[in-house]
Amino acid sequence: MQMPEPSQAIMNQREALAVALRQIVGQEWVISDEAERRPYQCDGITAYMAMPLLVVLPGSAAEVQQILRFCHERGVKVVPRGSGTSLSGGALPLEDGILLVTSRLCNVLEVDAPNRVARVQPGVPNIKISEAVQHLGLCYMPDPSSQLISTIGGNVAENAGGVHCLKYGVTANHILGLEAVLMTGEIIRLGGAYLGAAEGEMDLMGVLTGSEGLLAMVTEIAVRLEPVPEVARVISMSFPSVEEACACVGAIVGAGIIPAGLEFMDRKVLDAVSVLIRETFDSNTAALLLCELDGTAVEVDALVDVVSDVARNQGAIETKVSTTEEERQRIWSSRKLAFSAIGKLCPDYYCTDGTIPRNKLPEVLNKMADMSVKYGLDYANCFHAGDGNLHPIIMYDAAKPGDLEKAEAFGADVLIACVDAGGVLSGEHGVGVEKRDLMTHQFTDIDLNQQQMVKCAFDPAELLNPGKVFPTACRCAEFGRMHVRNGAIRFPDIPRF
Amino acid sequence: MTQTETVCLRPASTQDVADIVMDAAAAGQTLAVTGNGTRSGFGNPVKADRTLALGGLDQIAFYDPEDLVIRTGVGLTLDELEHMLAAKGQYLPFEPPRYTGLYGTDAQRSTVGGAVATALSGPRRILSGAVRDFVLGVEGVNGQGDVFKAGGRTMKNVTGYDLSKLVTGACGTLAVLTSVTLKVLPAPRAELTLVLPARTLEDDRALFEKIRALPLGVGGLARRVGADGRCEVIIRVEGTAPGVAGNHQVLEALLPTPPRVLEQEESQALWREIRELSCLTPKADELVWRVNLPATAMPAFVDEARRAGCINRFFVDWAGGVVFSTMRGVQPEVDVLRYRKMAEKIGARSMILRAPDAIRSQFGAFPPVAAGVAALEQRTRTAFDPAGIFNPGRMTVQA
Repeated sequence: MQMPEPSQAIMNQREALAVALRQIVGQEWVISDEAERRPYQCDGITAYMAMPLLVVLPGSAAEVQQILRFCHERGVKVVPRGSGTSLSGGALPLEDGILLVTSRLCNVLEVDAPNRVARVQPGVPNIKISEAVQHLGLCYMPDPSSQLISTIGGNVAENAGGVHCLKYGVTANHILGLEAVLMTGEIIRLGGAYLGAAEGEMDLMGVLTGSEGLLAMVTEIAVRLEPVPEVARVISMSFPSVEEACACVGAIVGAGIIPAGLEFMDRKVLDAVSVLIRETFDSNTAALLLCELDGTAVEVDALVDVVSDVARNQGAIETKVSTTEEERQRIWSSRKLAFSAIGKLCPDYYCTDGTIPRNKLPEVLNKMADMSVKYGLDYANCFHAGDGNLHPIIMYDAAKPGDLEKAEAFGADVLIACVDAGGVLSGEHGVGVEKRDLMTHQFTDIDLNQQQMVKCAFDPAELLNPGKVFPTACRCAEFGRMHVRNGAIRFPDIPRF
Repeated sequence: MTQTETVCLRPASTQDVADIVMDAAAAGQTLAVTGNGTRSGFGNPVKADRTLALGGLDQIAFYDPEDLVIRTGVGLTLDELEHMLAAKGQYLPFEPPRYTGLYGTDAQRSTVGGAVATALSGPRRILSGAVRDFVLGVEGVNGQGDVFKAGGRTMKNVTGYDLSKLVTGACGTLAVLTSVTLKVLPAPRAELTLVLPARTLEDDRALFEKIRALPLGVGGLARRVGADGRCEVIIRVEGTAPGVAGNHQVLEALLPTPPRVLEQEESQALWREIRELSCLTPKADELVWRVNLPATAMPAFVDEARRAGCINRFFVDWAGGVVFSTMRGVQPEVDVLRYRKMAEKIGARSMILRAPDAIRSQFGAFPPVAAGVAALEQRTRTAFDPAGIFNPGRMTVQA
């Protein structure tokens, strides 16, 4: 993974920068010691590592403001980081940049139950929001599987999804207001702490959400709270073939039902989890669907009947419906344990998140089987079927020379197949460094240039999280002066990282 | 508007749009970008050299009901789109209003591009989300005549910046949209509306709060003056038939008085009226406002504004989170500023939905934003349209 060449001049100033930053945040909140910086070398993708120049932990938005202003003046790059659970390398440090960590910005500032909103700092773990409002019968809906650890600030940066986003939407649909600091140290406030606070405003909040820390450092978030659904029930449906399971996904939605979650697991995943949950699956089962339905008891009972009928008509071998909360949890445990179960089968695995139109599921899944043969690597499938969000789990052994490269190439081939099927590179993990060089497969140079122009509006010096998302630098200064007609590459001479 | 005097260009394809924009950019000419022009009265008046009318871009690229997605040219009318979705039992959950009653234009000609450009969401916003939440992708032409796309057609997508959200609600000031890809949903099988006499604003707001605290899927909570001149509270429940029946019972137990019950068509007709602000019946010289605010601040705000003469008639939607009102046109220069100040004091967002051109030009139809945000908005506009040729002044007040 090629990153922008680190500046030796900046790296030589390490000690002086540490002294200056300590004056802003206090002695103990700048980590300079190499051993203490080591845990910050990577995020959720451990294959990519870099030692950050310094790790800085601000305690307030005012401190963030001073840090960014200082770094802007000195030309020091900044990489924002929450809990470091990114699966795309979004928080991968830079050797000539500081890592700005939100761990100390971890307070739920206000819960406004009547207006159904909470104001929180970016370092609050996702789950803590729901916990803080549980006694009011409310929750924060988006629930990425990292929710115990991942922060709401990171969720905003990546526009995180989760199991329930088919029905309830992703992070962007639940953010009402943001306070953010631009690289210059300027604080901006968008939207506010009520539904509709952003009406009539350019949707800068929309573009900040999911911008992977490239546009601004978010320091406060107003999130929408929802009442906890009265009942949730899950139906487990086993199918004799992958095709029939995929067809059932379309048939459920076609029947006018939007489940709270709709997950797919193939036979390999089932075999792996059956050991852990001490349960066996029918030997004729090739794929399993888990469909969660929530709402009021009456509503859910009605929907359970419809989905069960659909499943039978689509050739399900067996359907099991949870009748108690305990049963629901037990049925879900197979899905929740899927990744750790696969982890026991192989030394390492690699998982991407390309997303496709639902009706292309069989086509892309078949291609994966061919790729597995081509690369000689085994794989398993466990994904969010309802929204076509694939999670191929490619198994490899990092100790074997060339295995990691083969796994990466396999993963890239899957992502390219997703784009070719009318889908996208990333449904929920983000582009980061992982998919950066594949962006040209999904977007034209003009598309990418238009996105990068937005970067220029926010951070023309390109000091915030550079080297992520886009395969080339922006060259903000040239915009508007050059113009090449449609189709031609606008800046053919820009070196790729 | 000066559009009637200017040349009107009617492209039939994205390439036509790109050519027109490139020519305009080369000639240093500005463009008033519009669909069929039914909402030209929304936002600030635009003075431009030419008009670019996109009503001809009405081809549907695809509609995939099983995948809950449709991609269409921006010129398709909302009526046609909704009709086509309804044939498959689907709908646009954000319930786009036309507001053509305010502007004296033809509701049937309002386009999907206009819905995305204005980002106006209807009563179901409290349950289902806003326009922005359903725009999966766009194709457009920037100020240099480049055709670009953003987003995609999948339900989930975090690949690159979400430019689709950015252009939604930008009133055509960033780019000329040529096609949009929208997420659609199955329409609820059953709906039911409960109507009961209103009490004080605070009583009704508290009732809304109580109802919204329950997970009943209530997709409409409004308070308005009814046909008989009396104020009424209106509650909409949607879902499966058994679900709606169950929620109906739960709700009745919460209500202070037994409600009148409207089913299916009757319910739908009532919510169309609410969506279109019909009960405001503004007089020709009256201004029409929308104020978004925290629901808890609504009763005191309305009382104060009425006492100050800034609100003449009004009604409340979004469970108390939005106030639509009329303002007498006697001394608008004074009242506009007073009303805005009242809104600003409580962090509310005030938008003029209808007013004479001179008023909107002077004060701006959109709520004022902080200087730093305004500067960032301007830099963002420049990033799309460096010469500022699209809809000049539509969202900003020229100093």
